[in-house]
Amino acid sequence: MNDMHGLIFAYAGGLHIKELTEHRTVSSLPFGGRYRAIDFMLSNMINADIVNVGVIMRENYQSLLDHLGSGKDWDLARKRGGLKLLPPFGYNVTRLQHEGGVFLGNMAALAGVNSYLSGIREEYVVMADGDLVANLPLEDALRVHIDSGADITLICSPRTVSSPEYAVNVALGEKNRVSDISIGRREPEMFESLNVSILSSSLLDSLVSYCSAHNAYDFERDVLQRMSDLDVVAYLFDGYVARLHSTSTFFRCNMDLLRAEVRESIFRKERPIKTKGRDQAPTYYGPGASVRNCVVADGCYIEGEAENSVIFRGVRISEGVRVHNSILMQNTKVSQGAVLGYAITDKEVVINRGRMLLGHETYPIAIAKGSVV
Amino acid sequence: MLLAGGQGSRLYVLTTNVAKPAVPFGGKYRIIDFPLSNCVNSNIDTVGVLTQYQPHELNAYIGAGLPWDLDRLEGGVRVLPPYVKGKGGEWYKGTANAIYQNMGFIETYDPEYLLILSGDHIYKMDYSQMIDQHRRTQADCTIAVIEVPPDEACRFGILNADDGGVILDFEEKPKKPKSNLASMGIYVFTWSKLRAYLLEDSHNPKSRNDFGANIIPMMLNAGERMLIHQFKGYWKDVGTIESLWEANMDMLAPDNQLDIFDRSWPIYCGAKSAPPHFVGEGARVTHSLLTEGCEIHGEMENSVIFTDVIIQPGAFVKYSIVMPGAVIEKEAVVEYAIIAEGARVGRGARVGADPSVVPVADWGVTVVAPGVTIGPGIVVKTREMVGADKLTQEAGPAPPAAGTGKRGGRA
Repeated sequence: MNDMHGLIFAYAGGLHIKELTEHRTVSSLPFGGRYRAIDFMLSNMINADIVNVGVIMRENYQSLLDHLGSGKDWDLARKRGGLKLLPPFGYNVTRLQHEGGVFLGNMAALAGVNSYLSGIREEYVVMADGDLVANLPLEDALRVHIDSGADITLICSPRTVSSPEYAVNVALGEKNRVSDISIGRREPEMFESLNVSILSSSLLDSLVSYCSAHNAYDFERDVLQRMSDLDVVAYLFDGYVARLHSTSTFFRCNMDLLRAEVRESIFRKERPIKTKGRDQAPTYYGPGASVRNCVVADGCYIEGEAENSVIFRGVRISEGVRVHNSILMQNTKVSQGAVLGYAITDKEVVINRGRMLLGHETYPIAIAKGSVV
Repeated sequence: MLLAGGQGSRLYVLTTNVAKPAVPFGGKYRIIDFPLSNCVNSNIDTVGVLTQYQPHELNAYIGAGLPWDLDRLEGGVRVLPPYVKGKGGEWYKGTANAIYQNMGFIETYDPEYLLILSGDHIYKMDYSQMIDQHRRTQADCTIAVIEVPPDEACRFGILNADDGGVILDFEEKPKKPKSNLASMGIYVFTWSKLRAYLLEDSHNPKSRNDFGANIIPMMLNAGERMLIHQFKGYWKDVGTIESLWEANMDMLAPDNQLDIFDRSWPIYCGAKSAPPHFVGEGARVTHSLLTEGCEIHGEMENSVIFTDVIIQPGAFVKYSIVMPGAVIEKEAVVEYAIIAEGARVGRGARVGADPSVVPVADWGVTVVAPGVTIGPGIVVKTREMVGADKLTQEAGPAPPAAGTGKRGGRA
């Protein structure tokens, strides 16, 4: 066991994935054939031997509750601690409705779970967003945080991860000390913060009460940028990172899984990504199946053709179907002779015989959950 | 009570280190997943699993029963190994003795009926229907039977029953079978009756303490009310290399009666969490089952591939079973073979042969044992069983190392 507590903001990001987040929060977006976005951060935490994780929710969290359950799929169903689901407190909801119906920022969200925060027994806390897809070595990041003596350690990537307008970028000085933070604008030689921060629980406590008292609500703007006396250090992570910001990034990040180096970076034997089990049969390939360059989950029945696609659990691709460059989510049914290209079908979508749906790499067509085409 | 202590000696190298019920099956399962899932789907929530032979992997697999939803506060799954008692304790001598030794466990639940299952069959069955029948007919013992082809009846325990399903006699592997109803090794007993017969049997030093050989004949002779319960559907004993291979191949048949895709009767398993499988640019996969964690770059047809298998570019696998974690290297050819867990077939090696290119009498399923490496370019002949690394090609017959060599004729 580690002396670190996990906190996940399950509502963060996902601003422009309308069809896909209509019924769910961004953290429960299906990703990579058999996962939900939040599986990555939860797995990162348990792989760092974190045994207490709080998940802060805001709205549309039914599918997330269903997915997380008691937390036993992540070994977080514990008598003491384990997974703690933190939906909005009633009082906050009414108050927040006056202010536009949402938390104004993650510090406000933390203030809403103040009593939970004060019960944290671990010395350190790692806070992260639920829409970040990466296999992060949090244990190593904690070690570096302790060794550096910094107040806050931010995990940063040399890559461009988010859409530039939302990206939190940092300039680094000596020993990776953060010398400047710029939001929505990236200067040369800057790194992008992944919004994964490690700090002591006592510092978090005082920051939350300070922000609450000063009507400040945003960790990036009100804490990292304004409080210049804080010693902030970057932990550089050069592995694969994806953020599910928009339909096209969602599409691109799924497609990234077709590259061996991306799969190697996020699916590691020593730090496996765990998800809710569905106990599905293996996938059956029919005599006439032709599948090339695809990531395929269990429980599918494939008799047609698929290429460059990500195929989730329980998908049926009938004879004479041609699917290419597409993402077919759980239990999508594609009937005889249909053609799909650059399409994203949400759960339980049915594509009837002979239908043809073609999007483009820059504008994939997303079909909402349960639709019949 | 699930009898899972069998050694499965006719699976040879596949059961050197694991009990037969723990042998991988059907892409992501183990044999024991079928009876355990049947229990849960039949609303049976208290299951004792009797283990004896090489139990470590099986015990670890069953654990607290979480994959089958049998991690319960009341009942649930309980692993029952033989244990030391006041006067020294002993191994389970036979199937009936295994139950006899666990009478204390059974009595804590004070059951009305006891269902006895074995851990070496592949089938889906609603035991609750059988128990209902047992209760309705006020039987003392109900035995599940399945029709087998008349010419194969001599391989099974055959039950002869009247029109009302009352069992007239029972013969183990009869030369001249009187019927074609084979016992499936699934029994429902009224516990109070069985208890008395187990006690009686335990005092008989000549008894093999076996249900088929002793308890059932004893009860028949005593005139107890014993009925058959006829089962229709897929049922297969996977006790031999050939039958294990066939049962896996059966799963590929269109409309096979096992239908593991049926969500109303799921087969649960304790498979590890692995990423989805990846089928590469140059891969060709037809008429096969593939599961999580695999990377397929070669060609495969008519095969069942388990978790975390790698098939490299140019490799060719057909009519084969490749168990978890095995690697088939570039340009290797694997035909009509079972490649066991963690085995590795080296570059350009050839394992097994198509029955059309070898004399019928010589043909058989080829087996590479768990963790064994077949060196690059090595040829492993049809029906050969490789129990240790094979890095050089011997000119003559293989040396008689433990577990290595050809097995006897087919049953």
